[in-house]
Amino acid sequence: MNKTLALLVAFAHKINHQHIQLALVLISLTMLVLGAGAPADTGGTGR
Amino acid sequence: MILLIALIAGLIVGWALSHWRGHIYQPPELRSEWLAFSAFLPQFTILYLPYFRARASDRVSVICLMASLLIFLGFAWVNRRMPGMRILLLGLALNFTVMAANGGFMPISPQTAGQLVPGEVLMDFQPGDRFGVKDIYLTPQETRFDWLADRFLLPGWISYKVAFSLGDVFIAIGAFYILAQPGLFHIKREVFPHDHVTNIS
Repeated sequence: MNKTLALLVAFAHKINHQHIQLALVLISLTMLVLGAGAPADTGGTGR
Repeated sequence: MILLIALIAGLIVGWALSHWRGHIYQPPELRSEWLAFSAFLPQFTILYLPYFRARASDRVSVICLMASLLIFLGFAWVNRRMPGMRILLLGLALNFTVMAANGGFMPISPQTAGQLVPGEVLMDFQPGDRFGVKDIYLTPQETRFDWLADRFLLPGWISYKVAFSLGDVFIAIGAFYILAQPGLFHIKREVFPHDHVTNIS
């Protein structure tokens, strides 16, 4: 249990500000391009 | 899908260029990310969740889609100083214009739609019917700003069939550039105490 906790803590220390910023930027831009774009592909026609 | 490819390609190019130039990839800094979340939520609920998609009327879908695009316009405007965002903003404005002028959905002509689905499937469609997630099946004569509609196709040798608009092209270029440019131009920023980052300008 303590070992798992120690591993989690070590992992958390490796996640720095830049990783969080990159994740936020990627999520925001993914939402932006999916929301703003309107391409039509072969998947799902009609409602 | 095609827009996500542009996004992933931009990230790979930006990361590879940073690596090649010997510095750590620094992602661009967006402002007011909550706007993107609030803009995407109504669109995702109405268009992508099958339960709500099947039950929502076209009117409700249009209201959600237009409101969502307006909030996205606000988000892109707030971040307009970011390199690449103005190109994306232009694409978003073009898509918004053609969709608003055609009842809230992106028009697609029978000729273009015929390249995406078999002819027998297309025979069931009448002008004004929904096509795909955000499109509406309209003849070019019924379409306002026809040149901004989903009318471009990938080359025939690519098996993935997709129709896209001029606005989508700008959105893809903008998204690519936003993620690729940190690799092109390295900007010196304040380093946080816990960041083990060496800035090389």
